[in-house]
Amino acid sequence: MKHKMKTRSIIVRCGSGQLLPFAIVFGLAVVLFGTISPGGGFQGGVIVASSALLLTLGYGYRTAHDAMHPHFLHSGEAFGAIVYVALALIGLLCGANFCRNIFWDNGAPGELISAGTITFMSWTVGFKVLTGVAFLLLLLLGLMAPDGDGEEDDET
Amino acid sequence: MILTNYISSILLMTLGLYVLCFQRNLVKMVVGLGILDYGVNLLIVSIGYRAGGTAPLFVEGEIQPGMHFVDPVPQALTLTSIVIGACVTAMALAIVVQLHRKYHTLDTGEIRRLRG
Amino acid sequence: MMFERLIPHCPVLAVMTLFLGAFLTAIFGRSKAARRILLMLASLLSSFFMALLVKPVFFDGQIISYWMGNWAPRAGYAIGIGFEVDGLSLFFALLVSLTVLLSNLYSLRYIERDDCGDYYCTLALMLGGSVLSLVQTGDIFTMFVMIEIMTFACVALTAFRKRSEGALEAAFKYLIVGCIGSSLVLTGVILLYAQCHTLNMAQLSALLAGNLTPATVFAFALLLTGFGVKSYAVPFHFVAADAYMAAPSSVSMLFSGMVNKAGVYGVIRLCYIIMQSMRLPALQTLLVTLGTLSMFVGVTMALRQHDFKRLLAFHSISQIGYVLTALGLCTALGIAGGLYHAMNHTLFKGLLFLCAGAVWYAAGTTDLDRMGGLSKRMPQTCAIFLIAAFSISGLPPFNGFVSKWIIYQATFEKAAEGGGFGYIVVTVVALVTSVMTLASFIKVAQSVFFGQERPELAHVREVPLSMRIPMWILAVLCVVTGVAPGLVLTYVVAPATYAVTNVTGYINTMMGAGYAESVMTVPAQSIPVDASFAGYYSPVSWLILFAVLLLAFALVALLGKGSRGAVCQDDTGCDDKYAVFFGGERVTRSTVAGSDLFWGFRYNFRHYFRWMGNVHSGVVNDYAAWAVGAGAVIILYLYALL
Repeated sequence: MKHKMKTRSIIVRCGSGQLLPFAIVFGLAVVLFGTISPGGGFQGGVIVASSALLLTLGYGYRTAHDAMHPHFLHSGEAFGAIVYVALALIGLLCGANFCRNIFWDNGAPGELISAGTITFMSWTVGFKVLTGVAFLLLLLLGLMAPDGDGEEDDET
Repeated sequence: MILTNYISSILLMTLGLYVLCFQRNLVKMVVGLGILDYGVNLLIVSIGYRAGGTAPLFVEGEIQPGMHFVDPVPQALTLTSIVIGACVTAMALAIVVQLHRKYHTLDTGEIRRLRG
Repeated sequence: MMFERLIPHCPVLAVMTLFLGAFLTAIFGRSKAARRILLMLASLLSSFFMALLVKPVFFDGQIISYWMGNWAPRAGYAIGIGFEVDGLSLFFALLVSLTVLLSNLYSLRYIERDDCGDYYCTLALMLGGSVLSLVQTGDIFTMFVMIEIMTFACVALTAFRKRSEGALEAAFKYLIVGCIGSSLVLTGVILLYAQCHTLNMAQLSALLAGNLTPATVFAFALLLTGFGVKSYAVPFHFVAADAYMAAPSSVSMLFSGMVNKAGVYGVIRLCYIIMQSMRLPALQTLLVTLGTLSMFVGVTMALRQHDFKRLLAFHSISQIGYVLTALGLCTALGIAGGLYHAMNHTLFKGLLFLCAGAVWYAAGTTDLDRMGGLSKRMPQTCAIFLIAAFSISGLPPFNGFVSKWIIYQATFEKAAEGGGFGYIVVTVVALVTSVMTLASFIKVAQSVFFGQERPELAHVREVPLSMRIPMWILAVLCVVTGVAPGLVLTYVVAPATYAVTNVTGYINTMMGAGYAESVMTVPAQSIPVDASFAGYYSPVSWLILFAVLLLAFALVALLGKGSRGAVCQDDTGCDDKYAVFFGGERVTRSTVAGSDLFWGFRYNFRHYFRWMGNVHSGVVNDYAAWAVGAGAVIILYLYALL
């Protein structure tokens, strides 16, 4: 079993430990300002989700698996999708069409909350992608781990 | 310069299709799918390119007469396409791992119980 | 009317109900009761929203357009994503709703023995939502995204019973060929965008009318190939047979009932409305050739199958061939026949797959050689199977007869109008295919439901009620659409047929009145549709048909003259069980297995069958190469002739 006791070098472990907070904070910032700056919910979500890879690199698959709760991630992804649809339905409830941007005219252009529903939609997308991609990564890493339980794949 | 993009995207797509048609290793075929996707993505981004254009993002008042930006629609399309490509790769790899567990081979010539 | 204000929102609500159901099942699906309730609730609500659209679209002839987020066109450019539901979209959407509803009802009990039932529910709802969205959207890129979601859901559902034989293998093959198809669609879409700077199908249609430049022809060929891959016409059909066989039966019903219909819808939308080039004889020839090949190859491959579901899969390919042939004729009668047959195919092929699933559920196998005499054990399933088999074989008074009759008549009229000798060949092939369909279903009936009972199947019981209800619903629909063709034609098929030809209306509803006239360089050529086009009981046509039929039989008889009476002497198996055919009844127990019936026919055409068997090699590279090669041929053909 060559997977088993491959001791990770201290450099890799420290490096991933240093990068982990940066990846999470930077990713969340990209998600937050997604509507008004380059980037967006999706890209930020992927950056945050890369912390799953960093964790696996530094501390092994089991630690990453236990730290990130794949079942929570799976439900979280579905929850994000539901919130997105609910936000889109707000437009319908206000008498306009599906996906209509409501209360779009508050805040000056360039401020954080200035784009109405779009801002919240972008955050939801960020959350959904964060959980979805992290789940996907853990799933694939689990397939390659020695005792991976081959779970059925699910699309984002 | 943009012509190079078109040519290389077509080359990438052809390479991807070639790999899918003639490489008999499952993992190589998944790589082929990826190459095909990258070729298409390159084509989409290149189509949205405008010489001298800026990023399609501005705050009101910032835009000057004579400025123009690159077409944002193909960029959104590329993003969607990249996501889909990533999902395809993930799913294909998951299936390949399970296939290897079941058939103990990665050769397409031996994974052919359904035929005729 | 309280629903008046709801009607424009219905298409998007129907789609979103299914998607919401899928997401909710992903969260709460661990408990069996919760996921069953969610599954049925989502399907029922979605069908309800679709049913609300029947009156305005089919009866009042409206076209419903819907812009997401109220982003209506500005200055002649469609900047938003829109839904547009005309008769054609609604026709396919209703088929999708019906299939999803019945398949989900059936799957409640059918998948109860499998683990991961919550994944099944999520994926099935997602598949339904994606196809429903695909047929209603007015935006070609949304179409591509939905095709991709559809492919993913199909692949995951094919691999659902991953321990069963071939499921993973079929899923991988499906993924490879499906992805080639969707990459071609995406390339085509983006080439059209580069030409027209829009993704809206109505605007594309207006801009592309009579505008066949090399770039648009290339995009057209790519899109046609991509949708062809999704409809599993012949050079692309290999994966369909594998996937239909390996997937659970309720999923096979979804596949044959709506996934390949999505491909057919794409072909219609592309050829008739976006490109508006069905008037060109080259394109008609292409579609008719593809359809005829599918018909013939599908049915002959079905004759050599040993597996119930694989046989049905090849019949599915063959029936899609009928649809494509009829649609390729570009006459009102042909379109009506094709759409009618598409509907009938959804009904009877869904029913047949459900029967196969019932047999699997009860007997644990779908191998034709290991069954027999189930009619005593499962009388209702047997009766339902016979209705479906008669429908697909085109026996009156079931629905297959009506639509096949319209298709024969349409092909024959095309030949009479000066379409040339080729269309007579097409008519004859269609007739022969129908006969062989009947033959292979006699084989299935004989080896599954009749014949002598096998001792190991003595424990078999009839399937539970919740599985029989969807089967009976479909069976009743098969009979109703067969005995009342006039009503179905007038109220369901005619609006859809009219929508196929009403290009100007499609553009103007979406882009604003007068847009089509101001942009299009050549006026839209509509095909005349009148209510009396179905010459369903035209005596002269009957007479000519019988003459053609007689000629075909005479030809077959003459061709087989040399080998008449030859007794099988070689190693094809002259053991005692064939003796019942020769009168030697000394074997008391003789189960004629599925592969034994028609062995003489298969012996006579053994070279053809061996060749076809080699073509269906099972190697995924070959399948990919067929798809890519066919795409290349289509590109070259369109360049040469358009």
